Amino acid sequence: MIDSLYPLFKVDTLNGFVALAAGLFTVLTVIFSLRFMKGKPGLTRYYTYIIMTAVASAAAVLSNNLILLLACWGFLGLTLYLLILTNNDAGLIAKKTFIIVGGSDALMLLGIGIIYYLSGTVQMDEISIPLTGGSQLLAVVAYVSIAIACFAKAGAMPFHSWIPDCAKLAPVPVVAFLPASLDKLLGIYLLARISLNLFVMSEAMNIFLMLIGAITIIAAVMMALIQHNMKKLLGYHAVSQVGYMVLGIGTGTPIGIAGGLFHMLNNAVYKSCLFLTSGNVEYRTETTELDELGGLSRAMPLTYFACLIASLSISGIPPFNGFVSKWMVYQGLIEQAGSSGFVIRFTAVFCLVAAMFGSGLTLASFMKLIHATYLSRQPDALKARKISEVPWTMWLPCLVLALICIVFGVFANQLPLKYFILPAVEGVSFIGSWYSGLATLLIVIGLILGIFAFRLKGLKPLVRVDSACVGGEELDLAASRVTGTEFYNTIRDLGPLKRIYAKAEAGIFDIYEQGKAAVFSVGKFLQYLHNGILPTYLVWTLLGMILLFFILVR
Amino acid sequence: MQNANIIPLFVIIPLAAAFLISLIGRYVSLRFTNAISGLACFMLLGFSLYSVYVLQAQGIPALVYKVGGWAIPFGICMVLDGLTAFMLVTVNLVAFFVSIYSLSYMDKYTDRPKFFTLFFLMLTGMNGLIVTGDLFNLFVFLEIASIASYALVAFGTEAEELEASFKYAIMGSVASSFIFIGIAFLYGFTSTLNMADMAQVLNSKPNLWVVPFVTVLFLMGFGLKAAIVPFHAWLPDAHPSAPASISAMLSGVLIKTLGVYAMVRVFFNVLGVSQAVLSMLMFLGALSMLVAVFLAVSQWDLKRLLAYHSISQIGYVILGIGLGTPLGILGGLFHLFNHSVFKSLLFLNSGSIDYAVGTRDLNEMGGLKEKMPLTSSTNLVASMSIAGIPPFNGFFSKLIIIFACLQKGYLGYAVAAVIGSLLTLASFMKVQKYAFLGTLKEKYSQIKEVPLAMQFSMICLAIICILGGLLLLPALKFFLNDAVNVLLEGREYARVVMGLSGR
Repeated sequence: MIDSLYPLFKVDTLNGFVALAAGLFTVLTVIFSLRFMKGKPGLTRYYTYIIMTAVASAAAVLSNNLILLLACWGFLGLTLYLLILTNNDAGLIAKKTFIIVGGSDALMLLGIGIIYYLSGTVQMDEISIPLTGGSQLLAVVAYVSIAIACFAKAGAMPFHSWIPDCAKLAPVPVVAFLPASLDKLLGIYLLARISLNLFVMSEAMNIFLMLIGAITIIAAVMMALIQHNMKKLLGYHAVSQVGYMVLGIGTGTPIGIAGGLFHMLNNAVYKSCLFLTSGNVEYRTETTELDELGGLSRAMPLTYFACLIASLSISGIPPFNGFVSKWMVYQGLIEQAGSSGFVIRFTAVFCLVAAMFGSGLTLASFMKLIHATYLSRQPDALKARKISEVPWTMWLPCLVLALICIVFGVFANQLPLKYFILPAVEGVSFIGSWYSGLATLLIVIGLILGIFAFRLKGLKPLVRVDSACVGGEELDLAASRVTGTEFYNTIRDLGPLKRIYAKAEAGIFDIYEQGKAAVFSVGKFLQYLHNGILPTYLVWTLLGMILLFFILVR
Repeated sequence: MQNANIIPLFVIIPLAAAFLISLIGRYVSLRFTNAISGLACFMLLGFSLYSVYVLQAQGIPALVYKVGGWAIPFGICMVLDGLTAFMLVTVNLVAFFVSIYSLSYMDKYTDRPKFFTLFFLMLTGMNGLIVTGDLFNLFVFLEIASIASYALVAFGTEAEELEASFKYAIMGSVASSFIFIGIAFLYGFTSTLNMADMAQVLNSKPNLWVVPFVTVLFLMGFGLKAAIVPFHAWLPDAHPSAPASISAMLSGVLIKTLGVYAMVRVFFNVLGVSQAVLSMLMFLGALSMLVAVFLAVSQWDLKRLLAYHSISQIGYVILGIGLGTPLGILGGLFHLFNHSVFKSLLFLNSGSIDYAVGTRDLNEMGGLKEKMPLTSSTNLVASMSIAGIPPFNGFFSKLIIIFACLQKGYLGYAVAAVIGSLLTLASFMKVQKYAFLGTLKEKYSQIKEVPLAMQFSMICLAIICILGGLLLLPALKFFLNDAVNVLLEGREYARVVMGLSGR
């Protein structure tokens, strides 16, 4: 049926699975919202916007016409803005979000205009513009403009700064739906589309993308480490993970691109799972501050399970899906590291180190989250609330997503790679094979053996509970409770990092704040010129006319 | 040529309404004034839509009406071609909704008959300027509209309004006198005042200095009326000071009729445009676009912010038309239409806020969304339109203008247009944030949504904003294309008019 809409729409191996995933997330978000959003004002509008978002993103993904793509894409910025505003206090961040996202859409318009100028068509399957040669400057401007729109949508640095605050303030299902899943899918899909089909990549552009990716990974994960708010922490990870996707696409090797795309899919799965579990926690405890949480694993076992699986996935622990896609990205980098140019080799090695390091830090910050939320002691305030598991409409989406994490990891080669990713990217060859099935089997056997060994000593663990003494006086354990976040404060106080963190929190690295300052300073100067005195204005008029005479009448 | 008889009605109806209202309006009930105003504007809108229909149905390029039956070039003629019909629809559409809005809004002010008298005089001037085919006549109508607008800006008679009106009057008069000098030069050179005839004479009698010289005079004169940088300085004072419905007229249609329309009509159809003039137009357009938008972002007075955006958006129009290509002119004219719709809506919104809350200061507002949902949502529509967010109408015209810039290879202007668009979005996000979002102030807990007449105008304009993009559909595109063709034909205009007038 969709073929009859050609050339406006076209389904191919790249966008088909993206549209499918978008549909899945819409369904899960709606199921989750049924309970979570219950009783909040403006629900009709909320669901209208969700549906409009779903339709517009499907249209944007399947579109084969750049103008249509642009129109749907830009419209998504508006629905995102309206969805964030479902929370009445989120005005400031909604404004910031829309300025960054909508502003980058204006750049995309420029890029599409240049593409039209260079190739004479806006039909996507007929465009192929080299980034080198005759009209190099224009082509590069076009590519970068569209790439910026992708970065802003997906949240790669330096256009990421709307995501963390948005994650904190917007309603959870909205965050899980847009910044965590749909926007990632769209942004990375378009980045892949322009890199694979619309433009012929050059080495310099690959290096540019790889560096953006690596910086995004490291900088965002460093910020995530020091967060005290669960949703904001997840928000920084939403930025950090984009780095892997950009990095994968930036490698320019088939395996790397396939890894980037797979990571996009995986990230959407586990990131929306994580946000939804944070929503579950918020629903029961009405807070997402890590310091005020703890010990929820007994009260909310299903949520805990889903969150644990998703955390392990995002940290790249085998056999979950995050590991497979990260490993593919690494392979792409390793392949690039063996290429001939010195610069690209060096970049590839640098990025590889950064990506692996980033992966470790991700694990560290998720240990913090899991510990602080689910494991440590329950604070007294929570005990009084008698926390229980959330209704099924809320845990079901989380479990479905967690299950996808496992399936996509264990049966990576049989399911997602075979049907979705490998058809989209030609010529993928693995360096060394990862037999996920075998590995899983070994891991499971290891776990069983471990439990067996554990049980040999009897059913109870050998833990002695005793009172703690300091200087002969007994300590009140509840009063000196060690929260999960305190341990990580040492990072913040670590010599050189301290200054960087201080600057980052003051908004020095935020392109929005810097741009705002620049615009206002220009505005201030112009306002100084407009002093409201009539003779001044008349002088301008006459000077202007004299200049016109000088230029036009010779 | 029966249909040509509708042309003078565009002048007669508002003029008659103005006189009726001023003569007997104050002796009878207000309802009479309201009825006359609504009826006159409705008729004007109907006739302007009919004029589009006539041109399309008969498939002729233009209709010519000879005043008093005198042949061209001895008598005055009125011409209705594609561009005229386009402008008439734009002006009378906005005028209709503004007049409906004013029925309730003007409760804030005293002496409604005087207001509507001035309103209709201004409308007379604009409609007359659009239909006339005579250069001196054009000047007369321009002055009628200008003088009425000087008075309307001062309508509130507070110190601020009077000062703004004074500035506006002085600068407007300077512009008018330069336009007048320009017309005098042309008359001296061609011995005719009829635009078609003048174009023919200029064609057959080339001259090295008169045309460029007069071009500069007109560029300054009409440029000041259109508020192009550096001739814009009166606008940020004048437009906010007027009553909101008049601000909507001034920013929505007056600067476009008196400035842009008059300028392009004279430049393209009479004087003929050289590449140098086009480049100058593009440069001034881009300059206005950028300078004004930087100023707009920093404003805290809502109406002043909107006024600066008028300058900026006129920059887009001028840039598009200055490109001189079919696509560019299409984009420019389409943006002109769109801007008149969304900018008048924005000013009407600001009027509604002023009506309900009594302030124009963004810092004083906040949380109005819950009390004034309709104003809030129509304002969102208009903001999205002006910021060029799809699928609202402003998106399509900006898209065409940027594409047209790139089509001719002007990357710099395209980038400027993009920056302008980004900052426009930023400043309207600011309006949304500070006016409508957040928490409502305690002292405003009693405010109500505005009366029905005002709501009606805002809803209708918002609907046009949403559906405006449909004008690009093949079935409706003739509306814009006919206007574009008039400009593209250049001095051929003379032959068309002369041919139709039977000479």
